[in-house]
Amino acid sequence: MAELDTDFTSGDAGASLTFPMQCSALRKNGFVVLKGRPCKIVEMSTSKTGKHGHAKVHLVGIDIFTGKKNEDICPSTHNMDVPNIKRLDYQLVGITDGYLSLLKDNGDLREDLKLPEGDLGKEIESKFESGDEFLVSVLAAMGDECPIAIKPMSS
Amino acid sequence: MMAAVGAPEVISQLESAAKVLMAPPSMVSTEQRQHAEHIFLSFRKSKSPFAICKHILETSKVDYVLFQAATAIMEAVVREWILLEKSSIESLRTFLLTYVLQRPNLQKYVREQILLAVAVIVKRGSLDKSINCKSIFHEVSQLISSGNPTVQTLACSILTALLSEFSSSSKTSNIGLSMEFHGSCKRVFQEDDLRQIFMLTMEVLQEFSRRENLNAQMSCVFQRYLALANQVLSWNFLPPNLGRHYIAMFEATQNVMLKPTESWRETLLDHRVMDLFFTVHRKIREDSDMAQDSLQCLAQLASMHGPIFPDENAQVTYLAHLVEGLLSMINGIEIEDSEAVGISSIISNLISTFPRSVLTALPNELFASFINCLTLLTCSFGRSAALEEVLDKDDMVYMEAYDKLLESWLTLVQEDEHFPRGCFVQPAVQVFNSYIQCHLAAPDGTRNLTANGVASHEEEEINELQEDDRELFSDQLASIGMLGRIAADHCIPLLTGLLEDRVTRLHGQLQRHQQHLMASADPGTVERKVLDDLYEDIHWLILVSGYLLADDPQGETPLIPSEVMEYSIKHSTEVDINTTLQLLGSPGEKATSIPGCNRTDSVIRLLSAVLRTSEVESRATRASLTELLSPQMGKDIVWFLRRWAKTYLLVDEKLYSQISIPLSTAFGADTEGAQWIVGYLLEKVINNLSVWSSESELANDTVELLVTLVEKRERANIVVQCENWWNLAKQFASRSPPLHMLSSTVQRTLMKALVLGGFAHMDSDTKQQYWAEVLHPLQQRFLNLINQENFAQICQEEAVKQEIVATLEALCGIAEATQIDNVASLFSFLMDFLSSCIGLMEVYRNSPETVNLIIEVFVEVAHKQICYLGETKSMKLYEVCLTLLQVYSKNNLGRKRLDVAAEEDQYQDLLLIMELLTNLLSKEFIDFSDTDEVFRGQEQSSGAGRPVSAADVVLYGVNIVLPLMSQDLLKFPSLCNQYYKLITFICEIFPEKIPQLPEELFKSLMCSLELGMTSMSSEISQLCLEALSPLAEQCAKTQEKDTPLFIATRHFLKLVFDMLVLQKHNTEMTVAAGEALYTLVCLHQVEYSELVETLLSNQRDAVIYQRLADAFNSLTASSTPPTMDRKQKVAFLKSLEEFVANVGGLLCVK
Repeated sequence: MAELDTDFTSGDAGASLTFPMQCSALRKNGFVVLKGRPCKIVEMSTSKTGKHGHAKVHLVGIDIFTGKKNEDICPSTHNMDVPNIKRLDYQLVGITDGYLSLLKDNGDLREDLKLPEGDLGKEIESKFESGDEFLVSVLAAMGDECPIAIKPMSS
Repeated sequence: MMAAVGAPEVISQLESAAKVLMAPPSMVSTEQRQHAEHIFLSFRKSKSPFAICKHILETSKVDYVLFQAATAIMEAVVREWILLEKSSIESLRTFLLTYVLQRPNLQKYVREQILLAVAVIVKRGSLDKSINCKSIFHEVSQLISSGNPTVQTLACSILTALLSEFSSSSKTSNIGLSMEFHGSCKRVFQEDDLRQIFMLTMEVLQEFSRRENLNAQMSCVFQRYLALANQVLSWNFLPPNLGRHYIAMFEATQNVMLKPTESWRETLLDHRVMDLFFTVHRKIREDSDMAQDSLQCLAQLASMHGPIFPDENAQVTYLAHLVEGLLSMINGIEIEDSEAVGISSIISNLISTFPRSVLTALPNELFASFINCLTLLTCSFGRSAALEEVLDKDDMVYMEAYDKLLESWLTLVQEDEHFPRGCFVQPAVQVFNSYIQCHLAAPDGTRNLTANGVASHEEEEINELQEDDRELFSDQLASIGMLGRIAADHCIPLLTGLLEDRVTRLHGQLQRHQQHLMASADPGTVERKVLDDLYEDIHWLILVSGYLLADDPQGETPLIPSEVMEYSIKHSTEVDINTTLQLLGSPGEKATSIPGCNRTDSVIRLLSAVLRTSEVESRATRASLTELLSPQMGKDIVWFLRRWAKTYLLVDEKLYSQISIPLSTAFGADTEGAQWIVGYLLEKVINNLSVWSSESELANDTVELLVTLVEKRERANIVVQCENWWNLAKQFASRSPPLHMLSSTVQRTLMKALVLGGFAHMDSDTKQQYWAEVLHPLQQRFLNLINQENFAQICQEEAVKQEIVATLEALCGIAEATQIDNVASLFSFLMDFLSSCIGLMEVYRNSPETVNLIIEVFVEVAHKQICYLGETKSMKLYEVCLTLLQVYSKNNLGRKRLDVAAEEDQYQDLLLIMELLTNLLSKEFIDFSDTDEVFRGQEQSSGAGRPVSAADVVLYGVNIVLPLMSQDLLKFPSLCNQYYKLITFICEIFPEKIPQLPEELFKSLMCSLELGMTSMSSEISQLCLEALSPLAEQCAKTQEKDTPLFIATRHFLKLVFDMLVLQKHNTEMTVAAGEALYTLVCLHQVEYSELVETLLSNQRDAVIYQRLADAFNSLTASSTPPTMDRKQKVAFLKSLEEFVANVGGLLCVK
C-alpha cells in the first residue's frame, strides 16, 4: 500500500485483476478468488490440528457470477488472491441483437454487453420497450462482466 | 352428533380410521391421513361421549381406538365437570380402574392413558367438596398387599400417574385449569396424599429389601417403587403463600432441593427412612439403573431443609446420621462407575444445604473422617476423569462427579473461617497435587496415560467453536485456584518450580531445533512430540497460576486474594527485595542462576516464571522459529498477564488492610518496577501483533491486554510515557505492515485502545501531539481522499476502497472507546465523519459491503454514545441518522437486484437499520445525560429551529424498512425478532405518532401486528399483544371515532377476543392478551357486547348458555362500566383467569 497516493490519480488502465491478502485479514462478506473464480465470502472459520497447532482458515464462497459454491482451506499465514471488483451504472439507450447499448457517465457508448438471460433480462427488455428510462448496474471482476441490477432514473 | 349414529357404526368408523393412521406412509395418501385424524379429533370433542366410550373400551380390539376412547373420557370429564352428576363421575372412575385391573395384558400406552384419565378425575375432584376421591388410596394399598407382582406394578402405575398429574403445571392448559387452581390442588395433595404414597412406597421397599433372592419380575417391581420414592423425594413442595405468577417460575426450577412442610416431620426425621435407603442401595448397587435411583433418593435426603427441622440440634443429629451412613457405605467398597455421580451429588447437596454452624457442630472425629473421605474421593474421581478424557468417552461420569466435588470444596473453603484453623490445608495440598499430576506429562504426571500406563497422543482437529480450556474448565480451575490459595505455602512454590523447569527445557529444546535447522535446513524432520508435551504442561501450569493468583470479576476492581497477600507478608522478612527485583527484571535469565534466588518473594517469582516463558517465546520469534511455537501457549501467556495486571499492577494500598512490602515495592504506584513491567508488556503486545497477525484469537487476546493497560487512567498514565506506545500509534496510523494484516475485529480493538490511551494524563502539548499522531492522520487521509476531484472515478479502485474500509473500521473502534469522560470530544470528532459518510453512501451506492459498513458505523456510534448525549447532541445524531436513511432509501427505491448475493445483502442492511433504530429508541429507557453536563461550556444550545425528534427518525426508518420486509425476510429469526421488537417499542413509546402515519405505512404496520399476533412464535405474538394496549389508550385519549386507528382497534378486539375465548392458547399469553382485551373492551364496549351476544346466541344447550352468560357477567362484574383505570384492569385480569379456567374448555366443544 506504499504506492497508495499515486494510485489515487491514475485511471484503471493496467490495473491487475487481483491483489494478494493474508488469509486472516479476509472478512466475511468480502471477496476472494477460490478455484480461479471471484467469490463473495459467505462463511469463514478457523481450525487447528492439535491444541498447539497453527490456525487454518476454512473459506466458503459463492461465485459472484454463477452462484456456484466454492470452498478452500489453507494456513492462515497464506496469501490469498482478492479480486478487484467494480460496479458501474450505465444508462440503457438501446438493445440490438441481444446486446445492450449502454451510455457511460462521460458520454462514451459501449455495446459489448449481452442482454442477460433470465428474469433480469426479461425485465430490462420489457421496461425498455415501454419507454422507461433506467440505469443498469454492471458488475465486473477478473475479466467477466455482467449486469446485475436496474434502477429507474431519478431526476 | 355421534349419538345420531349407532355405536357399531361409530366403532367401525374409528377402527378403520385407526387402520389408516397406523398404515405405513406409502400405503395411504395425505388426505386419507388427515381425514382419519379429523375423525378422532371430532370424536374427542363430541358431547358426553361417556356411554359410547365405555362401549368401545369393552368391545373394541384396536389398541389405538382404546387409547382415543380413554383420551375422550378424560377431556370430556374436565370439560363437562359442572354439568355431571357427582355419582356418575365416581362410577366412571371406578369403571376405569376396574377395567385396567381386569385386563393385565393391555398395551402399556393404553393402560397409562386410562390411568392418566383416573388421575385427572381425582385431581379435578380434589377441590370439589361434593365428591370424594380418597378411596383410591385404600384400593391401591389393597392391590399392593396382594403380593402379586403384576397387580403391584399396576398399583405403582396408578400412584405414578397421580404423582405426575399433581406435580406439574405444564399440563394446566391442556385440561383448562388455572394456575391458582393447580396450586391449591398441589398444596392439598402434598400435605396428605403424597405422604400416604410415600408411606406405601416405603412399605414395599422395606419388604423387598428383606428378601434374600429376588427373581427378575420382583426386581422389576422393586425398581418401579424405588423410582416412585425418588419422585416423591424430588417433589417440589409448594410453599403456602406463593403468588400465582411465581408458581410457574417456581415449577420451572431444576434440581429441586427437598423442602417438605412441617407435617412431614415425623415421617422424614425418622432415622429408619434414611437407613432403609442405605440398605436398599447396598443391596442393588451393582444394578446401575437402580443404583442411580437409590443414590438420588439419598441425595434428595441430603438436601433436606426448611421447616421440617424444629431446631438446629435436630439438623445436627440428622446430618450426623447421614454422614455416618454415607461413610460406612463408601468405606470398604470399590466404587462402581455408575455410583460416582450419585455419591458426589449426596456430598455436594449436603455441603450446600446445611449451614456451616451445623457442619462444625458434628463430632470432631466424624467431621475429620468426612473431610478425609471427601479428599480421597476427589483425588480418585479426578484421576478417573483424566482417564475418561484419554479414552475420549462420550459419557463423562467421573468428570461430572469430579466437577461436583470440586464445587463443594469451593463452597467449603470460601467460608473457612467457620472451621478449625488450617483444617483444610492438607486436603487442599492433596487435591491440588493430584490435579497438577493429572495435567502434566510423564514422568512427573500422568497426562494421556491410559490405566495400564500406555501413552496416547492424538492430534485431533479442533474448530474455533470449541471453547478454550480456560473457559471450558473455568469452574474446575476456580476451585483448584482457591485450594491453591488455602495451601499457598505448598502450591505457589510448586507451580513456580515446575514452570521454571519447563521453560528451561523449552528453551533448550528450541535451541536444539534451531541448530538442527541450520545444519539440515529441512524443517520436515522436526519432532513435535517433545515440544507439544512441554507446551501442554506450560499451558496447564499457567492456567492454574492465573486462577490461583487472581480473580476476574466482571465490572469490579479485582483485589489481590487475601490468602496470597498474607502468604507474601508472612515471608517478607526472609525476602531480599533487591534480589526479588533483579529476578523480576531479568526474564531472559534462568531464575536459578540468579544468586540468592531462594530469598525472593514467591508470588513475584511465580509471575516472573510466566515472564520467562514469555521471553523464551519472544526470542524464538526473533530467531524465526515462530513455526515451532504454540499459538495456544501464546494465548495463555497474554491471558495470564492481563488477569495479573488487572489485579497487581499499580496495587492501590488504600484497598487493603495490610499490604505486602515486596508486592507494593515491585508494582506499586510510582515504582520503577511498575514502569518496567508496563514497558515489558507493551513490548510483548507489539511483538505479538506483528508476529501473530495470522492467529486471530491470539491477536485478540493480545489486544485485550493492551486495552486493560489503558482503560484505567493510572495505568494509562504510565503507558503513554513509553516510546513504544507512540511508535505503535504512529505505525497504526500510517497503515503500514504488519498491523494492517490483523483481522478487522483486532484492528477495531487496537483503535479503541489507542483512543483510550489518549485520555491519560499528559501536558497539553503532549496531548495535542498525541492526537495529531493518532486521530488526525485518520481524518487527514480521509479528507484528502474524498476531496479529490476525481474521487467519483477512482472510488472503485481497490486501494481506495481499502482505505475507505480501514477508515470505517477505525471509526467503529473509536466509537467503542466511548466512556462518560471522553464522550464529549469523541462525539464531535465522529460527527464530522458521519456527515462525510453520507456522501460515501452516495458514491458507494453500488457496493453493498461498503454501504453495510457505513451503516454499521452509525449503529456503533448510536449504540455507544446516545445514552450520554444531551438534547442538542442527540438532535444532531438524529438528524444525521435521518439523512443516512433518506439516502439509503433513495438509492434502493425501485432498484432491482438479481444477483446471487442480493437477498443476503439486503437482509444484513435491514438488520443493521433496525438495530440503529432500536439503539436510537433506547434513549427512552437508558439515559445518563445530565442536560448536556458533559458538554457544558462547549456550546450554547438554543431551541431555535424545528428539531428532529427520535420519533421522526425512527418512523422514517420504519417507513423504509416496512416495504422491504417481505415474508421471506421474516423467516430469518433474528430479523423477525428485531423487527417486532422495534414496532412494539414504537407503539409503546410514540402511540400518538401512529395515527399521523401515511396511509400505506399505517396499513402495513397494522398488517404486521396482525400477522405477528396470529402466525408467528408465541414470543412475537406476545410482543404484538403488548403493542395493542397503548394504541387503544391513544384512541381513547383523542376520542375521535372513525379514524383508521379506531377502526383497526375494533378489528383487533375481535382477534383478541377469539384468541382468548375460542382458541386453545398458551397460559403465558393470558396476561398479555388479557391486558390488550381489557383496553380494547373499554374502547369498544358496544362491539364487545355484540361479540358476547353472538357467541351466546350460537349456543343451543340451555345449561351451557346459562353457564357462559354467567361467566361473561362475572368477567366484567368488577369493572362495569369498564374504564382505563389500573385497579379495574387488575380486577378484570383476575376474573379473566377464572373465566378461562371455567369456560375455556367448554367453548372448544363443537
